[in-house]
Amino acid sequence: MSERIFSTLKYAGLSLAVLGLGLILLSPLIGEIVTPDMLWWIEPVAYIGSGFFIFGTIVGYMSFKFNRNSQVGRSDGRTWSQVTQDYFDTFAHDMGRPLRRILGKQREARALLNETGEVTHRMVAELLDEIENQAPNFRLMIENVRVLVDLEDQSSTPAVEPVDSAAIVRNVSDRYSPIARERGIDLIWWCEPSEFGLVYGDGSALDHVVTNLVDNATKFAAHQIEIQLTREDKFYSVRVSDDGPGIADSYLAHVFDRGWTPELSARSEKQSSGLGLFIASTLAERCGGDLIVDTYQSNDDKNKNAYTRFTLSLPVDNRS
Amino acid sequence: MTLKSMGAKQTVLVVDDEHMSDLMRSVFRRLESEGFNPIAVVPEGPRLTGDDYETHTLFAIENESPVAVLLDVRFGEYDTDRFKGLSILKKIIERDNSMPVLMFTQYARGPYRDTAVTGSLSVGASVDFIDKLASPEEVVLRLRRLIGSAPKTIKIGTLFELEPENAVVYAVNNGRHQIIREIQGMKLAILNELASAMYRSEGEVVPFSRLERFSDGEDSRASLRVRIRELKVSLGKAVARDFGATELIINVRNRGYRLVPPTD
Repeated sequence: MSERIFSTLKYAGLSLAVLGLGLILLSPLIGEIVTPDMLWWIEPVAYIGSGFFIFGTIVGYMSFKFNRNSQVGRSDGRTWSQVTQDYFDTFAHDMGRPLRRILGKQREARALLNETGEVTHRMVAELLDEIENQAPNFRLMIENVRVLVDLEDQSSTPAVEPVDSAAIVRNVSDRYSPIARERGIDLIWWCEPSEFGLVYGDGSALDHVVTNLVDNATKFAAHQIEIQLTREDKFYSVRVSDDGPGIADSYLAHVFDRGWTPELSARSEKQSSGLGLFIASTLAERCGGDLIVDTYQSNDDKNKNAYTRFTLSLPVDNRS
Repeated sequence: MTLKSMGAKQTVLVVDDEHMSDLMRSVFRRLESEGFNPIAVVPEGPRLTGDDYETHTLFAIENESPVAVLLDVRFGEYDTDRFKGLSILKKIIERDNSMPVLMFTQYARGPYRDTAVTGSLSVGASVDFIDKLASPEEVVLRLRRLIGSAPKTIKIGTLFELEPENAVVYAVNNGRHQIIREIQGMKLAILNELASAMYRSEGEVVPFSRLERFSDGEDSRASLRVRIRELKVSLGKAVARDFGATELIINVRNRGYRLVPPTD
């Protein structure tokens, strides 16, 4: 998009400069033709020509320079977007290294404790659980930043590829099932029709949106999370429901705001960055779909029948 | 009483220069406990490069006949080997594009994954990507799906085992396997469908529409309900248990059924 604008400006500037130059050169002639007896006509035409020339040259030069800067990152011709992604991947890999070591130690310790049958202090068990549970959080956080970088890149467009939506939902379910189980939550999923088939769209975006929705649901669900994948004629939907306390009306307006989390209102420790639902909603729109929320808060103490349901709708085929 | 013979374990080749790390050890342990035989590719030498891993991997594929390969993207300490895993993947696919390869990477998504997917999909290869921070449980599930073929044995917790090929269900007690002869025909087909879904993904619900194929009568939903009840009774009887509504086979309201491994 920005490339097209800069290119148009470049040619417009160049045309203006050429027109200006032409006016300067032709001003004596034009002045004589228009008013043969009044040579003062030459000056305004020359001034206008000079103005056109200077302005056109500046616009053309600046557009050329900006376009080049946004296009070429290094001498190898990669775009800045590619260079940024490259650096970010390296950064993400290196940042993951300490976590991989901590996670590895934790899993070894857990295996050892299981083998020996040693009874551990409650705090030790909680610490081991916490390390394991924070790993998907970390993975999601890194991915959120990567997607944000991509969303900021005006030239980036959603991929169009054959996508096995059921496989993506299944993968997300597998990723979060152990965490949900640890928290006493049953995570289930199904798709209708059971042979769901392929759709055409951006698989990474779908994966990322569903991951954010399920991650969010594991924080608030009381006993169950359901992921439902359904298909209609032109759209398919992924609905993620949880039986958590629901979202208050005053919060609902901010749910998709960047950086907003419920803890901000409660003045308590933040459990998330507040980027997930903003990114999910932005990605959904970018892929030609939408993300809506439907919630119910119960008035009784036990929050019976309360729920929150996020529904992501995307086109079955976005090739057109 | 029938004693069951254990089949040979399926070999999974693990190609990762950090295969001795704690994180990878937990993956090895999980693979072993799930009935796989994980073998690490370990070239020898003072300063190993990605090329060493490539040569040894291709050699090991020829010799060990693995059912799948777990392959890291990054290798060695040289910058030129940053994405060596992708070039090893390419070589594996060129030789055998039916070989399932699960790529272990920080780049579960992103441009490098896309490049590799585009390259591998063009020849119809069976390739998937998983984050290195994934739990060993997740690794095994993804690997199972990538391998695709139904396993010889599906364990339903520690109490039951199903052999889809032989159409047999066993009750397991202290390592001894006893055939549950009451479970045959449509009941076995229903159990097979539920167990296969559980094997693929822990939380997968099998919709009624899929299970009603194995029931008869005018009201197929009611008939299915009866068969499920009979199935639970037969399984329970074999292990002297009475499985309640929220155990073993659970009815997920208006959706379908789900198999949940029973606890001891």
